[in-house]
Amino acid sequence: MHRALLPFEFSEPASVEEAVALVDGGRARALAGGVDLVLKMRLRQETPERVVSLQKIAGLDHVRVDAHGGGALHIGALATLRQVEQSAAVTQGWPLLAEAIASIVSMQTKVMGTLVGNLCVGTPASDVAPALFALGARVKIAGVGDERDIAVEDFFLGPGVTAVRPHELVTEVVVPARPVGSAGRFLKLSKTADDIAKVNVAVSVAFSRGTCAHARIAIGSAAPTPVRAVAAEELLLREDWCPATAKAAAEAAARSVRPISDVRSTADYRAEMVKVLVRDALTQAADGAGVLDGHDGKEA
Amino acid sequence: MAKEIATFIVNGQGYEVIVEPHMLLIDVLRDSIGLVGTKYGCGAGDCGACTVLLEGKPVFACLTLAVTARDRSLTTIEGLADGAGLHPIQQAFVDAGAVQCGFCTPGMVLTTKALLDENPEPTRGEIKAFLAGNLCRCTGYVKIVEAVESAAGILRNGGAR
Amino acid sequence: MTNEPHSEFSSVGKSLARPDVAAKATGAARFSADIALPGMLIGRILTSPHAHARIVAIDTSRAKALPGVAAVITHADVPKRGFTRSVMAEGLPPFAYETENLDQYILSDKARYIGDWVAAVAAVDLYVAERALDLIEVEYEVLPAVFDPEDALAPGAPVVHKGWKDNVAGVIEHPFNRGDLDAALASSAHVAEFSGRNSRQKQAHMEPDAAIASWDDKGRLTVWSPSQNAHLAKKAMGRRVFDIGEGNVRWITPAVGGGFGARLSFGVEPVAAMLAKVTGRPVKVLVTREEDFNGWNSRTEQRQTIRVGVGEAGEITAIEQDVLSDSGAYFSHSGTISAVNMQSTLGVMRSPVVRGKALMVYTNNPTASGMRGYGNPEGSFILQQALDIAAEKCGMDPVDFRLKNARGPGEPSMWEPQAITTCALPECIRRGAVAIGWDQKWHGWGAGKEGRYRRGVGMSIMTHASGAGGFLLEHSTAVMKLDEDGTASLSVSPCEMGQGILGVLAQIAAEGAGLRYEDVRTVTGDTDVTLFDIGTHASRSTYAIGNAALDAARKVKAIVVERAARMLGVESEGLDVRDGRVFAVADSSVGVSVAEVAHAGIYEYGTDARHIMATGKHQSVMHCPNFQAGFAEIEVDVETGVIKVLKLVIAHDIGRAINPLTVEGCLEGGAAQGLGYALTEDLVIDKGTGKVVSDSFATYKMLSALDMPEVEVILVEEPDPTGPFGAKGVGETGITNVAPAIANALYDAAGVRVHSLPITPEKVLEALRAHGAGA
Repeated sequence: MHRALLPFEFSEPASVEEAVALVDGGRARALAGGVDLVLKMRLRQETPERVVSLQKIAGLDHVRVDAHGGGALHIGALATLRQVEQSAAVTQGWPLLAEAIASIVSMQTKVMGTLVGNLCVGTPASDVAPALFALGARVKIAGVGDERDIAVEDFFLGPGVTAVRPHELVTEVVVPARPVGSAGRFLKLSKTADDIAKVNVAVSVAFSRGTCAHARIAIGSAAPTPVRAVAAEELLLREDWCPATAKAAAEAAARSVRPISDVRSTADYRAEMVKVLVRDALTQAADGAGVLDGHDGKEA
Repeated sequence: MAKEIATFIVNGQGYEVIVEPHMLLIDVLRDSIGLVGTKYGCGAGDCGACTVLLEGKPVFACLTLAVTARDRSLTTIEGLADGAGLHPIQQAFVDAGAVQCGFCTPGMVLTTKALLDENPEPTRGEIKAFLAGNLCRCTGYVKIVEAVESAAGILRNGGAR
Repeated sequence: MTNEPHSEFSSVGKSLARPDVAAKATGAARFSADIALPGMLIGRILTSPHAHARIVAIDTSRAKALPGVAAVITHADVPKRGFTRSVMAEGLPPFAYETENLDQYILSDKARYIGDWVAAVAAVDLYVAERALDLIEVEYEVLPAVFDPEDALAPGAPVVHKGWKDNVAGVIEHPFNRGDLDAALASSAHVAEFSGRNSRQKQAHMEPDAAIASWDDKGRLTVWSPSQNAHLAKKAMGRRVFDIGEGNVRWITPAVGGGFGARLSFGVEPVAAMLAKVTGRPVKVLVTREEDFNGWNSRTEQRQTIRVGVGEAGEITAIEQDVLSDSGAYFSHSGTISAVNMQSTLGVMRSPVVRGKALMVYTNNPTASGMRGYGNPEGSFILQQALDIAAEKCGMDPVDFRLKNARGPGEPSMWEPQAITTCALPECIRRGAVAIGWDQKWHGWGAGKEGRYRRGVGMSIMTHASGAGGFLLEHSTAVMKLDEDGTASLSVSPCEMGQGILGVLAQIAAEGAGLRYEDVRTVTGDTDVTLFDIGTHASRSTYAIGNAALDAARKVKAIVVERAARMLGVESEGLDVRDGRVFAVADSSVGVSVAEVAHAGIYEYGTDARHIMATGKHQSVMHCPNFQAGFAEIEVDVETGVIKVLKLVIAHDIGRAINPLTVEGCLEGGAAQGLGYALTEDLVIDKGTGKVVSDSFATYKMLSALDMPEVEVILVEEPDPTGPFGAKGVGETGITNVAPAIANALYDAAGVRVHSLPITPEKVLEALRAHGAGA
């Protein structure tokens, strides 16, 4: 165990092009906020020979709504969690995302840590990921001379493993405009307020005449990656909304997870809590979307 | 870069320090510059004892590569009080009984500074949320929250008590 | 504010600002790791990756060859002198010290837990020291290991210590066992039984361990470290670790970032001393938080069963306590903690028949030790649930059952040969019950609550020592001297680790001598300056060191009065001293300042010069028990098992609150630790490998500011004639009642009991399932 880092080379490229030429995801690692990487380097879980700081690259710290792109939200690779959480565009347009970030309570982590960095850690316990899953976000990845764009669900490949290849960098997360009339809810169970989730759940739903017209359910900390509960979503879209539907969807969601036991919780408990949280989140989101008082779908 | 002489602007004063990429900001502050008020509690960003303000925002000095803080404005606990007296936040912590062992206090005070700079009239809930990244093992936070409320009132009043 | 200042006092009873806190708020306070000496090296320790392994060979040549490395040491370089990590044990009477196992060496030739110390390096800086650690090559012969104390008792289990026939580290019969247990239980109307275990709570002082050691040219050792009992540490270092005598050790205690019992043990001081000896230079040894979690201190896990017999009228007829303690790899505090558990647990209720027995067992887990409460939070978690079960069997309200059966004044205290002098427990129970709303919220046994969110209330009571008298050596000596300007230095040796003892002692001394609080300086933290003291533990400092300070202060006052009388040409009988002025009680216009008296004593040009000073002493076989009632109101979500604590009430029998603000802070902080102990804090050790899995604050979860519920602290003041201005101890106590009160509230809310700490949602849900309740 160590207190100090091992020596390494340090680069501060001024452009994404220069940066992607340097980073290889293994011996040369990208540094944004550093919250995760620096700790792992101290613990010798990462021993890169080169650290490539992205902090001097201009034009990556934006949180903006693109009026031309259908009102999508663009979050640059250097935008901090705190910046996103405090953005008026986010709190008004994508409150589910703000809610998920608010559940990360350490202010220093949010001031240092970037939203993109949070995804790039590749942890299934990310609080941001389920919200982005539920919101249908996409991830822009720059490579040498090209750029690709993938759905956030395809970004997570396994614990600590993402779709980012050597000589690639995530430059932006794009969150599409929220479906009209939709409401979301993020719920999380953790040992203490400042802990990582035992289980977290984000849902986004919209209704038309008492039936779900839009449903996305995402679950974190209950599988090797955050997962979408597609079967549960399909059930919601099929059935009339009522408490039993929410319960059935929650049961279906529990079948889409593969939790493990670890220092934070047990596999059994997590599986059980997926049911409770998904049902509760759906019920509360449905309330927010106005289905209970018959105001659903009015804007549609 | 390898070894270089870098400038750190700490509490308004420039310090020239030999740094290497693997050096952490906390070690540069404590060992190279000699400002030991910043405390090493966990080295993992879990306890907040090492909190300093980087351009006014609270960061973990234990997870900050020193090279990334070159030429940027840093505030440590030593830079809070103007002259020999206590800053109103420090005074409020003393008066409220919010300091026990004092090891978390520098980080707690600086995080409070960041909070009150951005939100001069926080609710109890907002105080607890903003300080939730700073662990205290002694107080149960009761008197810390009281101190922050009191400091907010004093600062809104122009520093008068 | 619970308490009005007592107008008859100038300092006592007032929430005066502590002398040490302003420097802590500005960052000026110096903790051990903040100190740098000229020529100082940085030391780091190599730890074992194996839970049980013989060290076959260590090759240090590559590490030694690294430029900047001054020394690399292994077991071959250290004295072959066994010691115990518990320096508190130095205060045991000789017959008891003999039962302490001296099983520890500075560095060992056999690793007994993951994290055990194998080698150490001193180098010019941290970076070089850690690179040198990486270059040390150790050949281990991995041995079978045992991680469960019950497994460790099984025939054929791996034996942790060489030359031992088994893993039984010790057996303690409770010294106050009496009566025929079997007969008493057989004839009782009801017998309540509860079994369970506590967790290995970490003290988790925010300041990681650090120690500096330096030897002078005459072979005298100076140590700087956060010790809770520097004078005993000095003895342990001078007599056990090295054979140099106490006089050749000077112990300096800088600011201490929390202790909670951890610093009653050696931290890294012996390694620092060894490295400094080998290199001839000052060495500062640093540790990481992960090493601390994998290391040498935690609450001791104790598995216990308690049986309580009750008669027809609800009177307790017998109590039996059985304790199995997991010592971990080394003995450390496991004997004393087991003994104190039984004293405090069996010492709170009246019972004609008592039977207690404790067994301490070695395993390949990290070394356990003592934490705040020192056995009491361990025992109370079991006893207080057994008492509720007994009350239910009798159909009695838990409040009434405890009021009926708790010991009171004149009855034996927890250290039975001594009687309780004062006891405000009934008042604590009554006021606490009102504060929690017991009569409105407790609906009787089997209230059959329904719905997803169920509320419940629970209570717990305890007694705790205000000092070590009867159990350990109980001795403090204080010195007070007056300077020419009428200010005073009070030389004392508690450990100021956050609890505010320096201010409290200055308040006591100021009041006792008739000085102003701001004119009394506490001088502490250097064994070359302070006189003997057993240090800060056993919630003793206010009571015991306070008595010593008061004794010194009163003697100073007497000298001042006597000399002032001569200066004023009056009889000394009619004089008093207050706020720095000597005056005639009959006519306060007749008087002289203490400063003038002090100055005249020193600048005396005849033959009567005197620098006014006095020593004061506290020595006692008594420990003045304090008492406390705790209450909790919770709401449990039966679908998630999550317990939300709505309110905690702690009503403490403080005797006299010398400084109400610091007493409140002590109890609030204790309550927070108690809440973590109850619900979230869990040192998780992998059962297959012995590795501590929760080795960071990210995995070992203490409460954050957002997790703290409302805590109402009630200070019940009934001055005890033996305490300074009537004060009793409080330091450890806030932690003890929280977990049992919450456990009893859980039963009230949902009809289930969880048998191990922490009471996690996972366990609650499992208990609800087993009970057939819940979702």
